[in-house]
Amino acid sequence: MENLNIKATRYTPEINFDLNGTMSMVGKSYPENTFEFYEPMMIWIKNYFDNDAKETTTINLEITYFNSSSSKLFFDFFDLMEENHEKHNIEINWIYDEENESAEEAGEDFIEDFECLNIKLVTK
Amino acid sequence: MDINNVQELIDNDGIIFLSYGGFLSQELISAMTEALEKEAEVSNISMGMSNNIFVIFIELSQNMMNYSKTIHENDREIDPGGLIVVSKDEDNNYAIHSQNIVSIDDKKSIEPRLNEIKLLNKEEVKARYKELRRSGKNTHEKGGGIGFYEMAKRCDEIEYDFKQINDDKYYFHMKTTVNLKVPKEK
Repeated sequence: MENLNIKATRYTPEINFDLNGTMSMVGKSYPENTFEFYEPMMIWIKNYFDNDAKETTTINLEITYFNSSSSKLFFDFFDLMEENHEKHNIEINWIYDEENESAEEAGEDFIEDFECLNIKLVTK
Repeated sequence: MDINNVQELIDNDGIIFLSYGGFLSQELISAMTEALEKEAEVSNISMGMSNNIFVIFIELSQNMMNYSKTIHENDREIDPGGLIVVSKDEDNNYAIHSQNIVSIDDKKSIEPRLNEIKLLNKEEVKARYKELRRSGKNTHEKGGGIGFYEMAKRCDEIEYDFKQINDDKYYFHMKTTVNLKVPKEK
């Protein structure tokens, strides 16, 4: 397995998933075909948890704004974290600008939907 | 045509930009979103409100883009009649207007959902959105599954109507308003 690095575009975030256990996603998200765009990331993270997971995995998500299909995709991503949270120690940081109340609300919604996950709201 | 008439329309109705949506592409949508970002920056509106405007604009325009794609795939000779307009009034309240031509079947699928949304308050919209997101239903289909709820969550009012063109075709109009709440203080 190799690290996963995807450069940002005007409508997709920069993705850096590192085998050392640090994952980050930074930017905006409204791809033309959301599920196609994120498929490599979803496959990578599944393989990582199945084969290569470190003791602690830290996931930093900093998404300024995103469309509804990205919202669904992030939900599926959290779902996958939920499936793995008993076997692995997963820390998730939902990072947003303190003025960005819609990003804050989105983070709160994920926390409500995934009570068993360790999701922290972090302001920049 | 006289371009002065267009300018007059733009001035009178506070139009920020308008676009013919028949050939909307992802690149065009992202360029227009960036133009909106610039607009939000100079208008000094809060980041939360700006993001709501961007997301509503993106939902509407991607809906229209995907819709004209399916029309093309099905080789139906339909002019999508697409139009998307962003405007603001003197108090910096924003409105995103859209128009496209839909079939009677699409009207039957869209209209009940919008009727339902109209009856819900903000909290109920949010609850329904989360419920639909969890169930995964309606999220892959064209023409707005949770998309309408995403917009409803982020706006103050949704208005819509279907104007009949012939037995099978309707103009679908939607107007989404995002009102200015607290001005940004610096």
